[in-house]
Amino acid sequence: MDARTKPATRDEGARLGFRLTLPAQILVLFISAFPLLMQLYISVTDWSPLSGVGWWNAWEMWNSFANYTDLAADTRFWSALQRTAIVMLVCVPAEFLLGLALATLFADDFPGKRIFYSILLMPMMVVPAVAGYMFFMLFQSGGPVNDILSSLTGSPVTIAWLSDPTLALIAVMVADIWQWTPLMFLILLAGLVGVPEDQIKAATLLGANPWQRFVTIVLPKMKTIIIIALAIRVIENFKIFDTLYIMTGGGPGVATETISVYIYKVTTQDLIWGYVAAIALAILIVLSIVAVFAMKRMARAREVAA
Amino acid sequence: MSAIHLQNLTKSFGDFAALKTMDLEIADGEFMALLGPSGCGKSTTMNMIAGMEEPTSGKILFGERNMAGVPMGRRGVGFVFQNYAIFTHMSVRQNLAYGPRMRGAAKAEIDRRVGAIAEMLQLSPLLDRKADRLSVNILQRVAIGRSAIMEPAIFLLDEPLSNVDAAFRAVMRTELKQLQRQFRQTMVYVTHDQLEAMTMADRIAVMDHGVLQQVGTPLEVYNNPANVFVARFIGAPGMNLLKGRPSESDRGLVVDLGPLGVTPPLPGELASAVRAVRGDVLYGFRPEQVALAKRGLAVPVSFVERIGARTIVHLGDGESAVKAVFENDVGLSVGQTAIVAPPASSVRVFDAASGHAVKAG
Repeated sequence: MDARTKPATRDEGARLGFRLTLPAQILVLFISAFPLLMQLYISVTDWSPLSGVGWWNAWEMWNSFANYTDLAADTRFWSALQRTAIVMLVCVPAEFLLGLALATLFADDFPGKRIFYSILLMPMMVVPAVAGYMFFMLFQSGGPVNDILSSLTGSPVTIAWLSDPTLALIAVMVADIWQWTPLMFLILLAGLVGVPEDQIKAATLLGANPWQRFVTIVLPKMKTIIIIALAIRVIENFKIFDTLYIMTGGGPGVATETISVYIYKVTTQDLIWGYVAAIALAILIVLSIVAVFAMKRMARAREVAA
Repeated sequence: MSAIHLQNLTKSFGDFAALKTMDLEIADGEFMALLGPSGCGKSTTMNMIAGMEEPTSGKILFGERNMAGVPMGRRGVGFVFQNYAIFTHMSVRQNLAYGPRMRGAAKAEIDRRVGAIAEMLQLSPLLDRKADRLSVNILQRVAIGRSAIMEPAIFLLDEPLSNVDAAFRAVMRTELKQLQRQFRQTMVYVTHDQLEAMTMADRIAVMDHGVLQQVGTPLEVYNNPANVFVARFIGAPGMNLLKGRPSESDRGLVVDLGPLGVTPPLPGELASAVRAVRGDVLYGFRPEQVALAKRGLAVPVSFVERIGARTIVHLGDGESAVKAVFENDVGLSVGQTAIVAPPASSVRVFDAASGHAVKAG
């Protein structure tokens, strides 16, 4: 090889690479590490925007982890977390199953498929706050939901959906499922059409019925994409806020107060930002653990399915 | 009962007739190759036998049994796909066990059958390998084993060697032929590669444009092509076909090839058949059977291809192009004129208007 075209030594290359990516690295550090460190710092103080000192001087209000011990004993926090978990455990599986069923339907051809496809994707494109207003109106005691129920049952129905603790939670979950099933559908459809048709035919020729084909060929081939879809929705659903806040404001009482709503209220009403930082950090840790677990599963699934 | 009868089979996709008409009898235990260029309807035929597609009209019988409306999972047909369609997310064992498992066979029974088939196909050491990291010849064996475990009476193979590189194909051909002897099933083999069809098949069905052109043993198809298409398609290179007009001479019936001169007289029986043809004929002979002679057709050499053991000499051009294959280098070079003469016994004559072979006697 010609001496002039010889590539730089490995060390030289690495150094050059480092220099070239330095600005980007600083930027990333600034937008990800800095807020995190700031949050960590504030979370061990009693600092609030009303306390009269800048956040960088928050050390003056050091409270020796009192925020975290308070958090452990905060029943409102724990019940908000529990509510968030319930919403997630209902909504994500429901969105998954509906999405999968729809994807299976749309994997085949039928008349009007393109139109239905567009209609089906629309909820996803509605601004969540607008969706919140839509469902807020739908679920009024004199609203369309009750009208439909009335005409079905033949007697006037006047359920106060958003004022009943249980029904309000159900209404909120219905809105979430309506809005996010399309995303599940879209991701799962992409996975479904990627399943090799020859293998499905081979399975058919070997005597597998449609259900057996689905369980033994289609699902295993879609494993990775299913995990991605579930991970996206679990993380997003955990942060459920806009739709819910507009529909119920977390009420009645605290009946639909999820973790995001709780944080929002503590931030804007109680203004104890040191405590908010502590809550947010605790949640970040929980979500990170979930994410790491999901990634590990995904890597393993890819290995198995490859 | 595993003979296959195709009766007046047709298949159209909208306006396009993929299979215009097909009548074919495949005997029990026979290795039948469906051979033709792409788009000739061979895969369509096979898909209909497998039940992946319904015929537009006509009947498919397995033995005495009409297959109309029988779903593909119930036909007792083993199918080897072009890319083998191995379940890549399973192990070799799970692939082999798939059929019996789907039919609810008992665990012990499945193990026994998988063991037996793996033994037969020399897959035993590979049973617990993941199926996504196997070489092609092993994939082929897994694909065959996966179907064979169901003990199908009929095996359908859809161009299984087309993804394999040329050197390996010879190995795979031998292996496939041996497997067929082992299983003794009726096999239908779709291919566009005449070498595969010639070397493996008991009989070949040559197809073109959705029409069955000829059915016969490899040598029949090679020696006595039924029409111009088969003559040109079979053989590498295909048969030489020169257009000419039959004319009587004092030595007997000859074909006047215009600028190339006059052919040697046709042998007696062929001559009398040719006399019945009105109009032009095509004078055909195999490039391999061309010999250099003192008397014969004089054509200029236009190109010489040397491929080791054989030399292909291209003579003339356009309408009067002739190819000749010699076992070794013949010392002809471009610009020379070669005098070639096909032996009278190997000459075939075709009706230029219809394309059909003129049969002697």
